Amino acid sequence: MKKKIGVYVCHCGGNISDYVDVEKVREEIEKDEGVFLAKTTMFACADSNQKDMVTDIAEKQLDGAVVASCSPKLHLLTFSAVAERAGLNKYNYIHANIREQASWAHSDDKVGATEKAIQIVKAAVAKVKRSNALEPIRVEATNAVAVVGAGVAGLRSAIELAESGSQVYLIEREFFVGGRVAQWDDLFVSNETGKELITRLYDKAMNHKNITLFTGAEIVENSGSVGNISLKVKVSPRHMKLNCDEGNLEKAIEVCPVEVPDKFNFNITTRKAIYHNFPGEYPQLPVIDMEHCTRCGECEKVCKNVDFSQQEEFLNIKVGSVLLATGYDPYEPKNDEFGYKTIDNVVTLPQFKRLVHYCDDKLVYKGKEVKNIAYIYCVGSRQVDGENKYCSRYCCTATIHAAITAKKKYKEIYNFHFNRGIRTYGKQEVLYDESSRMGDIYLQSFEDHPPVVSKVGDKTMVTIKDILTADKTLEVEADLVVLVTGMVPRQDNSIGSLLKVPKGRDNFFNEIHMKLRPVETVIDGVTIAGASQGPKNIMESMNSSLAAATKSFSLIAAGELALSPTIAKIDADNCEWCGKCDDACPFSALTKTDVNGKQVAVVNEAVCKGCGMCMPVCPSNAIELIGYTDDQIESMIDALVSTH
Amino acid sequence: MARINPKFTKELQSYGAFDTNACYNCGNCTAVCSLSDEDNSFPRKMVRYSVLGLESEIESSLEPWLCYYCGDCSATCPREAEPGELMMSLRRYLTSKYDWTGLSGMLYKSLTTSIIAFVLLAIGVIWFAAEQNFMPEHLLHYGHYFEMLAIGGVFLVILLPNLFRMWNMVIRKPKVKVPISAYFKSFSELIVHMFTQKRTLGCDDSQTRWFEHLILVIGYLSLLFTTVFLDWFATDSSFVLILGYVESVIIFSVTFIFMIGRVNKKTQQSKNSHPSDWFFVIWLFLMGLSAFVVRLFIDLDILETNIWMYLIHLTVLVQWALIIVPFGKWTHFLYRSFAMYFEKLKSLSAS
Ligand SMILES: Cc1cc2nc3c(=O)[nH]c(=O)nc-3n(C[C@H](O)[C@H](O)[C@H](O)COP(=O)(O)OP(=O)(O)OC[C@H]3O[C@@H](n4cnc5c(N)ncnc54)[C@H](O)[C@@H]3O)c2cc1C
Ligand code: SF4
Ligand code: SF4
Ligand code: SF4
Ligand code: SF4
Repeated sequence: MKKKIGVYVCHCGGNISDYVDVEKVREEIEKDEGVFLAKTTMFACADSNQKDMVTDIAEKQLDGAVVASCSPKLHLLTFSAVAERAGLNKYNYIHANIREQASWAHSDDKVGATEKAIQIVKAAVAKVKRSNALEPIRVEATNAVAVVGAGVAGLRSAIELAESGSQVYLIEREFFVGGRVAQWDDLFVSNETGKELITRLYDKAMNHKNITLFTGAEIVENSGSVGNISLKVKVSPRHMKLNCDEGNLEKAIEVCPVEVPDKFNFNITTRKAIYHNFPGEYPQLPVIDMEHCTRCGECEKVCKNVDFSQQEEFLNIKVGSVLLATGYDPYEPKNDEFGYKTIDNVVTLPQFKRLVHYCDDKLVYKGKEVKNIAYIYCVGSRQVDGENKYCSRYCCTATIHAAITAKKKYKEIYNFHFNRGIRTYGKQEVLYDESSRMGDIYLQSFEDHPPVVSKVGDKTMVTIKDILTADKTLEVEADLVVLVTGMVPRQDNSIGSLLKVPKGRDNFFNEIHMKLRPVETVIDGVTIAGASQGPKNIMESMNSSLAAATKSFSLIAAGELALSPTIAKIDADNCEWCGKCDDACPFSALTKTDVNGKQVAVVNEAVCKGCGMCMPVCPSNAIELIGYTDDQIESMIDALVSTH
Repeated sequence: MARINPKFTKELQSYGAFDTNACYNCGNCTAVCSLSDEDNSFPRKMVRYSVLGLESEIESSLEPWLCYYCGDCSATCPREAEPGELMMSLRRYLTSKYDWTGLSGMLYKSLTTSIIAFVLLAIGVIWFAAEQNFMPEHLLHYGHYFEMLAIGGVFLVILLPNLFRMWNMVIRKPKVKVPISAYFKSFSELIVHMFTQKRTLGCDDSQTRWFEHLILVIGYLSLLFTTVFLDWFATDSSFVLILGYVESVIIFSVTFIFMIGRVNKKTQQSKNSHPSDWFFVIWLFLMGLSAFVVRLFIDLDILETNIWMYLIHLTVLVQWALIIVPFGKWTHFLYRSFAMYFEKLKSLSAS
């Protein structure tokens, strides 16, 4: 037990001393046998007082310190740092909150507030008497990062990490890189094409020696913790040794008898079982889709590089951090939502983008030429009844951009935008301006009166109660209805569950703090980038991927990690492995381990967060939380309830 | 249910509108308009109808006539969609919709057609004069007849049926129920507005504009009266003589000020001039000036030897009476007053 404790009672200007008799608190606490010195101060956090504290602690060789002041949220770190500067271990500093808990809470009762303040400070003193010096837990960190997903976000993060000096494993589930952006032609706002953008990123990534790309690959197992994460990666074969020789690929595709809907074109076209999404796609190596291939062998006859003997492979890799950039799926409208799948000329925005790609001088859908296009906004976003309450951010701009593109590409196109308020924020506003000047018509309704798509004879009519025309009901005869579908999390998001990354209310991966820690997750070492975190356009995806890369890198760059020592500790003698703690732990920090022939729970120091969830469930009280031991907490309770 | 017609703004452009599609419905124009009120909210509503191409809504609207083009809305519009100019174009559009002959629309939409019409009439006058061997006496005589005939003819054949069509579009078709008595009760509204244009006073911009308009209208109407009924060119009364001089001076000086304004483009309403605006001021100016000079020539006794002067006057007069009055901007004066009248009728039907 400590004998040389210093206590500082703060006035906080008058915030505390107006209601709490700080001098009385000081007098009372001075009587405590372990207290060597007790002072009051006008502002404990002021530079001058911090200097005095450092001198006191160092010169008088204090072995513990308490500041009775405001909330620890405000100044715990300030005074821990003071202790460290004076050579006192920061875990021997204890904070007592007598402002929020005494003076402000009981401003109507000065005597009571003072008494409560005395108890609070006594409790802090009781704890500090029993506190121990602690050192951070140091773990070795592997300077390698697994980047999951090779869309724009994944590619960009991989390049950044590689350039910083980390080894990068870029793991892409599909057989081609680029993610969604590879599917779009002209992009807002820069008017580059998706292909151009991906080519630039791909070339840069492939030219860097630190990056290893796996396509057709997926993480199937994960163990370890930040700094030392082991991953098992399943790599599916392409069934191609090399690309077919000159021209033979097109022949091989031609002879393949299997035809399936082409997901890349959102099913508006079909592809063969041997395929590439478009000529010149990366990697420039076709794939045989074994799910649909009938093994007829036709392609093999034309292209000698087809290889049916290739097998699935499993790789074990070790990384210090995982960066998730798995992107999003476009929202799939329900059957008959605005006539989807029930009215023949209703498509989604992604389908429309692909359609415009394939139509050269005339916009034709299902054999009919399209002139009047009705766009219905916010489909699957900002839902009143559904779960997707959020705005998908990209879609207003993408729609207007697509409408302008169509109008410029084909003759006599009329665009009608059925929206719920246009959100072309920032620089994207110029597109809105451009489109309306070109004659695009904007019609607006509230969420409770969405537009209606219906079939009248052989015509498709879209009607709306337009709030911009005093709620007049207006109608348009549409040759094509485009549903502006929002972004939703990947349908197969099992990677999230595997890594235990929490999801937000929108079901996208969730960051720790939207503003202050926007790319970290509560799982140490796992960062998130791009649209896997929520709707983002490319620029925003780039921003977050650079942030996530930097964050992942900073965790492992030093080759060593310093983690907080306030974690759970199991007393192996008492533990009988009932598994209750394992069930209670939200971070899976506990594992059943054989210790000297006995099955007990062992804490993974790098994973435990010291949340304390396991402690109360242990039937044999075998768990202590370092820094909050039973002894310490009980002594505080005693001090709080003691009458003096 | 109304069907949207995105091609309509193209058509309106031929009446002088531009950039209407840029409107993003912020409503600033309506907020700033000092003549817009709860019952008649404009110009945003008219901008909206135009963008959507709701022709029947536009045809039944009186709002374009309730605007006196101060231009505040155009100056305020953040998108520079020129709502004020749109209101002006809608007045031209409506004029051509009311006009049963269809000539109005043709003249508004095409400068060439207008010029051809002016030239043909000029040739007609000269041909007629040649037929009369350029005899001053005959010419003055027929000129006077023409004035009387034109007033009656144009009114009965063109303007009256057109007013009836206007009534049909704004009252009958939209099924506004107006009690017969209301037509009489509101009649004073028509007369007051026709002669005072007092609505302009509601505009925030300037009282001078109203004053200039007022004396121009009074000057114009009284010169008409003086020449047609008091036979100014042939009068012996010195009172009538001086009256005519004063009136014609008023006309050409006020129109001169207007022309300078259109050239300088200092104010919003003079920023964009449609050919029809130019025709109107120039011809009114020429009428005032040529009438003045003709009478001066008569007084100096030199008209007989300078009959060309009278021919100029007659040509201007004929063009004015047969083009600008029945089919051009002159009608605005009439439709505006009737719009106030119909507006009053509508308000009485509502209550
Ligand atoms: C119709 C439409 C038009 C658009 N137009 C534009 C535009 O013009 N300009 C603009 O800025 N933005 C546009 N966007 C937005 C743009 O598509 C996104 O910002 C961008 O795709 C986000 O990139 P990402 O890398 O985060 O995700 P994605 O592009 O979705 O890439 C994610 C990658 O991760 C892979 N992956 C997923 N799960 C796994 C897994 N478990 N293991 C391994 N790999 C996995 C996927 O296969 C994919 O390759 C548009 C969006 C849509 C829907
Ligand atoms: S960006 Fe526009 S279309 Fe997309 S959800 Fe938001 S408001 Fe709706
Ligand atoms: S303290 Fe929390 S994180 Fe640590 S083992 Fe216990 S329950 Fe898990
Ligand atoms: S020009 Fe003046 S009167 Fe006409 S709509 Fe605009 S603000 Fe109103
Ligand atoms: S101020 Fe301009 S943009 Fe705003 S409503 Fe009027 S015309 Fe439209």
